[in-house]
Amino acid sequence: MSALLPIALITFKEGTRNRSFYGISLLALLLMGASFFISGMVIRDVGKVAVDMALSTVSFAGLLLVLFVGIDLMAKDLDKRTIYMVLARPISRQQYIVGKFLGISLLVVGTVFLLSIFGAISISAIKWANPDYFPRFSWGLVFLAEAFIAVSLILLSAMSFLFASVSSTSFLTLILTIMSYIIGHSLSSVKALVEAPQAAGITVSPLTVKLVQAAYFLFPNLSLFDIKMQAAHGLSLPMTYIIWTLCYGIVYICLVILFAALLFRKKEFP
Amino acid sequence: MQGITTTFLLAILVTLHVFFLGKAGTERKTLPSDAGGGFVIPSPVLKITSLEFKGVVSDLLFIKVMVFKGSTYERKEQPLMKPEEWQWFDKTLNASTDLDPYFVDPYVFANANMTWEGGMIRETNALLEKGTQYRDWDWMLPFFVGFNSFFFLHDNAKAAEYLMTASRRPGPSEQLVSLAARLEYKDKKTENAILFLEAIEKKTEDERLKKEYETRISALQARLLLERSVSAYKEKFKRSPVSLQQMIEKGIMKEIPMDPYGGKFSIGPDGEITCTSDYMLMPGQR
Repeated sequence: MSALLPIALITFKEGTRNRSFYGISLLALLLMGASFFISGMVIRDVGKVAVDMALSTVSFAGLLLVLFVGIDLMAKDLDKRTIYMVLARPISRQQYIVGKFLGISLLVVGTVFLLSIFGAISISAIKWANPDYFPRFSWGLVFLAEAFIAVSLILLSAMSFLFASVSSTSFLTLILTIMSYIIGHSLSSVKALVEAPQAAGITVSPLTVKLVQAAYFLFPNLSLFDIKMQAAHGLSLPMTYIIWTLCYGIVYICLVILFAALLFRKKEFP
Repeated sequence: MQGITTTFLLAILVTLHVFFLGKAGTERKTLPSDAGGGFVIPSPVLKITSLEFKGVVSDLLFIKVMVFKGSTYERKEQPLMKPEEWQWFDKTLNASTDLDPYFVDPYVFANANMTWEGGMIRETNALLEKGTQYRDWDWMLPFFVGFNSFFFLHDNAKAAEYLMTASRRPGPSEQLVSLAARLEYKDKKTENAILFLEAIEKKTEDERLKKEYETRISALQARLLLERSVSAYKEKFKRSPVSLQQMIEKGIMKEIPMDPYGGKFSIGPDGEITCTSDYMLMPGQR
């Protein structure tokens, strides 16, 4: 444990020094600004649109962070050969991976927290200007949705670690992580579609159904963490849903990091 | 010398940039647009491709419809929108509410436009029924279904059913329950319609929609005045008047009321009141 913390803290510091980090924050601020105009264009559901925009911005900026800063932090050590300096110390490869992952998770949590503050400011300002259009609004649900976004981004980071442990270039890691993200968010809808194809007027072969069902258990189900709609409309969310989803997320992250650590042990460095 | 060349080059490039942007932008406007008649991606595909941004995609689809509707007000021809554009309008609002079925604006906007102007009553009701199912705290949507069923489809049983649903939800005025009961009296159609619209108008916050409802109410009030005059005429002379002018000559009413939509009222052979505007804006009225 004593070896993990310094690696995690160094990774976190390195992440905050990355210039892409500032670019992503600037983009997030611009998108928050755009939410003022977009929410002003609707007739009644101003609150819903304001929450939609704020949460989607947090999610999108967090995604960019994982894809461009997270993967870069992992790849830089290998490309610049600085990993030898770390591993020359009494630190095992597994400790290095876990420490690095904790650092990036800390960066994700910190960024989501920062963006959430910006989001809260933009929602508050729109709410102040249109107090009558927030009938079912709940801050609790908005913050819960942001916490779920953070967990799903940490999960995606874990996936990028798994791919970085096996792939030879950071570009391949990036492509595989993007694919996991797309599959993770669309798999539930695809499964629903292939299991009831008559609703969309299409035919699906039994083999496809089996393949999708298998993929459903293999790939992370990121759509479980997407509760933006519930937060936007103030819809109630059962406590059991929150607990089971968080348990699923934590177990999946542990599993993926375990695999990543096992594979990284056998990885040949350049 | 180098500085002057750079400045000169910069000035030329900026000028060319502005010129070409203007040209390309103008040409772009002449290309066929997908808004108002283009292909609408089916909802199951949209749900998959929107990933975790379904809410925002739903908002943008709705805004696209609103912007398109607004742009049609600049048109000179009548009717303002073609049948295929109304189809696109309906499909896009359906896609928007499939992505986020709790989003109220597409329902309100569909009801305000697709009924009187678009004549797509069944399509509007199908959309509103979806909203009624999801937004189970909202009395407005079943209320709209009730009104459309009563006024356009003459289906009083369905109207009463939806009005009762609306009255069980929090927020509506007490008029609602009595309205549901009154629907049995078919001869009070215009009077009930005014009561319906007054209830909607009171709860409408958007200034433009509010104004549209006010215009509609005043048109129906004019029609109600004429209907009552025809009834009074029939009672007095035991036959229907042949024209509105005849009712003025016989002292039943003082003047023919104005139609705020710019149309002209007349009397049918059985004494029924008709209007040339059909309660939609006549050319040059907006």
